[in-house]
Parts: sequence; structure tokens; C-alpha cells
Amino acid sequence: MTRSTSAKSAPRAPRAAGKGHGERRAPYLFLLPAVALFVLFFALPVGYALYLSLRTVEVQGLGLGSGARREVWAGLSNYADALADPELAAGALRVLGYGLIVVPVMLGLALLFALLLDADRVRGRSFARLGIFLPYAVPGVIAALLWGFLYLPDVSPFHFALGELGLPRPDLLDGGPLYGALANIAVWGGTGFNMIVIYTSLRAIPAEVHEAARLDGCSQVQIALRVKIPMVVPSLVLTFFFSVIATLQVFSEPTTLKPLTNTISTTWSPLMKVHRDAFAEGDVHTAAATAVVLAVVTLVLSFGFLKAVGSRARQGESR
Amino acid sequence: MNNRTAALCAATVLAAAALTGCGSSEDSGASGPVELTYWAWAPGMDKVVALWNEEHPEARVTVKKQAGGDDLVTKTITAARAGEAPDLVQAEYQALPTLVGNDVLADISGEVGDAEKEFAPGVWQQVTLGTDAVYALPQDSGPMMFFYRQDLFEEYGLSVPTTWEEFAEIARAVKKKAPEKDLTTFSSNDAGLFAGLAQQAGARWWTTEGQKWKVAIDDDATRKVAEFWGGLVAEGVVDNQPMYTPAWNKALNTGKQIAWISAVWAPGTLTTAAPDTRGKWAMAPLPQWEKGANVTGSWGGSTTAVTNDSEHKAVAAEFATWLNTDPEALAALVREGGIHPAAKAAQTGDALKEAPEFFSGQTDFYQRAAEIAEGTAPAAWGPNVNVAYSAFKDAFGKAARNRSDFGAALETVHERTVADLEKQGFEVAK
Amino acid sequence: MTPTAPALSPAPAPTAPRAPRRTAVPATVALALGALYCLLPVAWVLIAATKSGRELFSTFTFLPGTGLVENLTELSAYREGVYWRWMANSALYAGVGAVLSTAVSALAGYALAVYRFRGRETVFDVLLTGVLMPPVVLAVPQYLLLAEAGLADTHLSVLLPSILSPYGVYLARVYASAAVPRDVVEAGRMDGAGEWRIFGSLALPMMLPGLVTVFLFQFVAIWNNFLLPYIMLGDDEKFPVTLGLFTLLQQGSNTPALYTLVITGALLAVAPLIVLFLVIQRFWSLDLLSGAVKS
Repeated sequence: MTRSTSAKSAPRAPRAAGKGHGERRAPYLFLLPAVALFVLFFALPVGYALYLSLRTVEVQGLGLGSGARREVWAGLSNYADALADPELAAGALRVLGYGLIVVPVMLGLALLFALLLDADRVRGRSFARLGIFLPYAVPGVIAALLWGFLYLPDVSPFHFALGELGLPRPDLLDGGPLYGALANIAVWGGTGFNMIVIYTSLRAIPAEVHEAARLDGCSQVQIALRVKIPMVVPSLVLTFFFSVIATLQVFSEPTTLKPLTNTISTTWSPLMKVHRDAFAEGDVHTAAATAVVLAVVTLVLSFGFLKAVGSRARQGESR
Repeated sequence: MNNRTAALCAATVLAAAALTGCGSSEDSGASGPVELTYWAWAPGMDKVVALWNEEHPEARVTVKKQAGGDDLVTKTITAARAGEAPDLVQAEYQALPTLVGNDVLADISGEVGDAEKEFAPGVWQQVTLGTDAVYALPQDSGPMMFFYRQDLFEEYGLSVPTTWEEFAEIARAVKKKAPEKDLTTFSSNDAGLFAGLAQQAGARWWTTEGQKWKVAIDDDATRKVAEFWGGLVAEGVVDNQPMYTPAWNKALNTGKQIAWISAVWAPGTLTTAAPDTRGKWAMAPLPQWEKGANVTGSWGGSTTAVTNDSEHKAVAAEFATWLNTDPEALAALVREGGIHPAAKAAQTGDALKEAPEFFSGQTDFYQRAAEIAEGTAPAAWGPNVNVAYSAFKDAFGKAARNRSDFGAALETVHERTVADLEKQGFEVAK
Repeated sequence: MTPTAPALSPAPAPTAPRAPRRTAVPATVALALGALYCLLPVAWVLIAATKSGRELFSTFTFLPGTGLVENLTELSAYREGVYWRWMANSALYAGVGAVLSTAVSALAGYALAVYRFRGRETVFDVLLTGVLMPPVVLAVPQYLLLAEAGLADTHLSVLLPSILSPYGVYLARVYASAAVPRDVVEAGRMDGAGEWRIFGSLALPMMLPGLVTVFLFQFVAIWNNFLLPYIMLGDDEKFPVTLGLFTLLQQGSNTPALYTLVITGALLAVAPLIVLFLVIQRFWSLDLLSGAVKS
């Protein structure tokens, strides 16, 4: 594929030593739908969000009736406001704490289950695979509702059971345990998805590789640690990358649990603050600025990370 | 494979074509009857509107049901930015200044005739925002009342509180007689309840001085209310958990909480939240700050407003007037939606003669409600109620959880509200 | 698909014929525990859906109730069966959206994996940045732009933005590079096949198991999407089921959440996805690379 390109325009050459006309044009045509959709539904809206983040509303008088509000340029003042708001930093810290639980636990479990599914002599494979993946099918709104039922002291079966046993009953929706409660919902919903991604790449390892290791006298655990895990590093990187992004954007779990408890504020996570500013308080401009800050931070973190492991992440097609 | 792919493509194209069809059929031609869309969340509204459509084939109204009041405000403002707002919206009173400020609502003072005389002045003032314009027609009102478990009050030998002082005593008495129970809870997840209680104490949170807004969320009246409840929460004699949760439903249903400060629409809520307690509740006036007074606040209640995006404002206003003043429409609203109409005539009319089924023991429920409603304190809303409400949820949520100083929380709400107004460029009177 | 319960019997494991004939007990138990953890809340929905409104808060959580039929009737009767309309809408959005999304991802992933061309990595990186912008942020501008095009509050307003999935493109690229050997593509060219034909009749079948996964992920993502339809739609006749259930939960202060309806509705909303999973398991059982030539 890396042969030198010949610029000869031989239309519809049945076979060419260099790249045919179609071959050169084809990738662009194949990419066209994706790129067009990207421009329309990602790039344009992002551009619009950038524009909004530089604007603000100016009110005249009592701000009632037609023409009382005008949109004007605001320079970077929305960014200054967004960064100066202590709630943003506080929210980021909360999300950091939450992410430190979610990402390792979820990916650890996903890897473990994927390896177990791929191991020999395991029974009930399809049942377990379906069962663990099933929560992924439960919409976030519903997931939070049902976990809410399972957490709320007055209706929780766990509380009931603990109470019957005379054990202390922690309030899962308060203080420290809340992080665990929120993380649990994310872990519950996300493990199966990541497990499938990792499992699929485990299945892609040629059987001869296991055979060779087994003939060398390696145990199942040794094969998993020394052969399988190194070979699925690209998938691990991928799942890590997407998990971190999902964590930074955590929104639906705390939002749906919020009505159940006084502990979750409307600015619990940075994205909730964006949502509150834009939707509850009608200030799209500050919301847009905060969102841009978030996106830039995510971009820097994730691409910094991808660069660090880049060569391995893409080794898939550099054969 | 190729055949399959082709079939798939064909199906996709067909589906897309069908969808486009759906999309474009939305716009009706210039001729023919006028089509109006109406965003509302009140239950049964479509049935009430059906009555109008029967009599007015020339102006068809379609109800598009929405999730709830707060969501609807957000969506309407977003839609109005794109010039896509519906002709009519159901809007809560406290949302009107926000909607008017965003230039969403049309001034229909020229179209509503003398509808003003149908409503109490305190209610009408909320739809004019104290100006000469009319931005909406009042639909229902939510005068606040005290709801309690009559059977349990008797069992514990409690009397119905007439003042807030007595209320506090009773809260303590409940704790003494049944330590695992609470008189009620202080919920921070609906600022409307607290706003109503503050109104009863005489608070007027937003007022105007010339071209300036004046914010008084931390005035003496509100502070008195905040500290009263803060004291009860800190003392541990009322619960601090939010309302409208499964746990709250259970607490009401099992009698763990034996009273609820609510509004005239409470029977509907209790029917769903606490089905096992049918017939065990009674309603009384809100406890008073001054013995013998008859003052109450409002919680909830909404209006019908016409938007600036409507191409048929006059027809829309005519519909809004019909919906909220016509006896037949009001009777249907009561029957289908279980609301308490804002129109004076309807409050004492036939539609509200029968007590709600859930309160079958209290045959004069609505007569008493009408008496209580006469003492409704005026409400004063401003252009950023939404900001104050979300600040309330956060600050009071935290204070209630920690059972800490409600006065400080109130200050936070006030400051955030003022800061937001100033940030938007309003001039704020000190 | 044969869901076998974890058993300790020494029967041979059919998937690993060459292994010693014992069940790996710790591994099997660990998997069973994982499945139990994941299924417990689902079991809760199943049981809660059988409870009447009265039983929901009064009987022990995992005790079945007596109200299933009543709940189903009530749900179907709610606003003249609007729930089933929501289900149909969800099926439409998720079905059509996922098919289109898979097609777009397959094309893009194949192009990125198989061809060498200028700007390849740039295009890929830029497409990937799509996941960085939170949907909450994109939704409002997307709404304003679609309203500009006169598409707000139509089925298309939910469908169009759901088609491109950066994640789908990523997966399709990974699958294509693993499953479509370069020599097969070259051989196709030698035979004089056009690029489109090579993709359609050679590469696509090889990528199929991977594309099934992309389809599944995208179907679930659209089915469960809440924010986009929430912003785009005003007409509850066009709501997908998530948004419909949300409106049932948020009835406003004078009618509290209709929990029994929501729970029954949630159960029914998850059911089609479970069926889809069961069907798709068959595709997964085809080894991803079974048709591929190893390098």
C-alpha cells in the first residue's frame, strides 16, 4: 500500500502498478458521509457554542417586554466568570474523587470478567456474558431510579436485611458513601460494555499463541498475565480513554439521584453546572464558556494520554 | 450479500423519505382553519381542549403534553430563540417575569377584554407584572393550607395548630409521643413551598423602584420563616429529607409523617403518594404568625400565555380567555385536571361543590378553601426566580442536611440572586 | 445461544475441547457473582413491575406483587396508549439510526484502515474529538441549527444528529484493520474490481461481526438517549420511550410520579434490548476473525 503513487490518470485501469484513480479517490468518498455529518452536527454546533461563549446578554431597565434584552460581545468575560466560580473547581474535585473509584474498579472488573470469559473450562459463559452486559441496556434515567429505590433507607432491601441482622445501616446517599453509591451505578452500567470490548480483542488473539504458551507449561493465570493482557493493551487504552472522558462528563447518575437527597447540589459535577446555567438559569453564555473550558481540559488530558501511549494504541494497523 | 445490502439501503431510503414526510406535514397551509399548539403539563388538558375544538372548528388547538413547569420554561425559551415557540404555553406565575424578560410572551391586553374582573386583584397583578400589559391569563391558584392525619392527631391527643408557635409545640409533642415519627419534613427540593411560607409572613422578594429591581430575599419576614424552620430541623423535631421521593411517599403512606404543609391541590398528590390513608386526612388553615389572622401564601398555580411566535395571537388569546373564564371550561378543568381555578366565580361555583374524594370526611373542603384563599398574600416575582430557586435548593439542601444555620443559607440565596441580576446588567436598588 | 447455569458437574466444556475435563470452579463462580450483581437490579424491576401502587412501598422489595396485569392495562390506557407510540418511536430512532450509523462507521472505518492517504490520521483524530464535547453542550446549538433548517420538533431532528458516532468509527476502523487483510483487497484490485465493489462484496462480509457490535452499541445508545430528544421535541407523540418515562416521573407538583407506571414501562422498554442482545449473541459466537487471514 505504500508504493509510490503514479500521477498517471488512467481512468478505470483494470489493474495498475500505482494507485488507480478510483483507489485515490475512494477513501475520501468513503469518508464523506462521516465528515459531512461531523461538520453539520459536531463542528458547526461547537463553533456556535464558541460564538455563544463570547457573547452576553445586556438588559435595559427592568428587563421586561420586547427589546429589553440585547446580545452583545462579551470578550472573554464569560471565561473569567466561569473560571472564577469556586463551584467549578469544587465540582472538578468531586468528579476526581468519583473517577478515582469508577475507572479502576470498572476497568479492573471488565478485564477480569473478559479474561474469565476467555479462560478454559468456564461454565455458563453466555449466561454470564449476557448478564454482565445487560445493565448497559438500561437507560440512565431508569438505572438511577432503580438504584435510588435500592439505596433509600426507607425502601431499601439491603437496609431491611442489615436491620434484621442488627448491623449498622449506613446512609448511602450522604457524605462519603455517596461517592460509592454514585460510582456503583456507573460501574454497574459500564462494566459489561468494556468487558465486551476487551473480550472481543481477546478473541482476536490467534489460538496458536495460547497453544505455544500452554506447551511451555504456563498455567491459565500465567497465560492471562503474560500473554493475553499485553496483547489487549490497545483495547485497555481505548476503554481507559473513553472511561475517563465519560467520567469527566458524569451527569446523568448524580442528576437523577439528586431529587432523593440533599447531598447532591445542582453543581455537583462541572457538567451539572453547565446544565444548570444553561437550562435552569437560562444563561447559555456562561454555560457555553464553562463547556469550552471542560472540553479543552478533556482534550488536553486525553490527547496527552493518547500521545503517551500512541504508538501502542495504533499498532493494530501499522503491521 | 449484495441483495441484502441493497434491500437494506432501500429500506433506509424509504424510512428517511417517510420521516421527511412527517416533518413537512407539520406546517399547515394559509387557508383552512387556524391551527394552534399548546404546551401544557396539567393532566387531562387535552380533554378540556377537545370541548373547545368541538365548538370552534375554525381554530383547532392541539395540546402537546410536557414534563412539568420548570422544564417547560427552559424549552419554551430555547424554542423562542429559534422562533419555534408554540402558540400557547402553560406557565407558572413565578416564571412569567423570566419569560417576559426573554421576550417570549405577547402582550394580550388588547385581546382579553374585561377578563380582569374575573380574578382577585392579587392574582391579576401577577400576570401584568405591575405594568399595563397583560402577559397571561390566570388558570389555577395554590393557596396554602395545613393538611394533617386526623386519626393520628386524635390518637396522640394533639390539637390543630393555629399559630406557628403551636405548630412547633406539636412537632415536639409528636417526637415525645412517638420518637420514630415526625410531624412533617422541611424539604429543600421545591423552593415554591418556602416562597409561599415567606409570602405568608409578609415577604416581597422582588419589587421595582423606578427602573431598578429591588431584591429582598433576606428581609425580616423571610428570615423569621427561615430561622423558625432551621430551629425545628436543628432540634430534630421535624425531618430534613426532601419531598416527592419514594421514601417520602412511604412516610406519608405509613403515617411516619403525620402532616404536610401544602396547597389546595394536595388531595391529588396524596391520592397517588399515600393511597392507604384515604379518608384519614383533614385540612385546616395554615398556622398564623399572629393569632386570629387569616393570611396564607401561594404554592404552585399556573397561567395560560400567548407567545410572540404565534401567528394567530388574537385567536390564541381568545382561547386562553375561554379556557380560564368560561364556566364550562372551568368545570372541565376541575373535573379532568383536579385544579383549583383562579377565576373567582368558579371557586364557589358548582364545579367545586363536592369535596375531593380523598377528603370525603370534610364535606366543606372547597368552601373552606375559598375562605382561606381570600387571605392570600400578594406574590412578588422578579426576572431571575429560576436563579434564586436553584440557589435555594443548594444552600438549604446543605443547611438541612447539616442541620445548620438557615439564616446563613438565606443570605447565600439573596447574594447569589443579586449578583446574577447585576451580572445580567440590571440595575439593582440597594 | 445456550444459557447454561453455572454447574459443577464434570461435563466437558464444549468451547474448549482440548482442555482438561474439569470446570474451573473459581472462575465460574466469579463470573456467576458478576452476573448476579448485574442482574439483581434488573430482577428488582421485574418484581416491582408486578406490584400495585399500594404494594410498591409497603411490601418487602423482592416479594412479587399482584398488580402486573393491572399495571400493564393502566400503562396501555395512559393517555390513549401513548406509551406504545413512544416504543414505536424509539424503535424507529434506534433502528434506522443504528443502521445508518453502522453504514457510516463501516465506510469511514474501512477507509481509515485500508487506505493510505494524506490527512488520514488528522481526519481520524478530528472525528474522535467528537466524543470530547459533552452532549449537554452540543444539544442547544444543534437545536438552534436544526430549527434554522426547519427541522425542530420532527423525527429527523432526533435521527440526524444520532447518525455519526465517533466511537463507532473507531471500532469499525479497529475491526477493519484486524479483519480485512490487505492482500485480499489487493487481490480484488488485481481481478479488476472497483473500490466500491471490493468494499461491498469482500470487506463488508469480513467486517460483519464487528459491525454487528457497532450496530448494537449504537442501537442501545440511541434507544437510551435522553437529552437530545428532550431538547429537540415538543410533541409527545414523537417522544422516544426514555423521554416519555421521564415525563411520567416529572408530573409536576400536583400529581407525583406515577412510579408503578414508570417501572412497568421501564421493564417493557428494556425488553426489546434484551431480545436484541440474544439475537446478536449468535453473531458474536462467530469468531470475530474466523474468516480473516492471519498475517
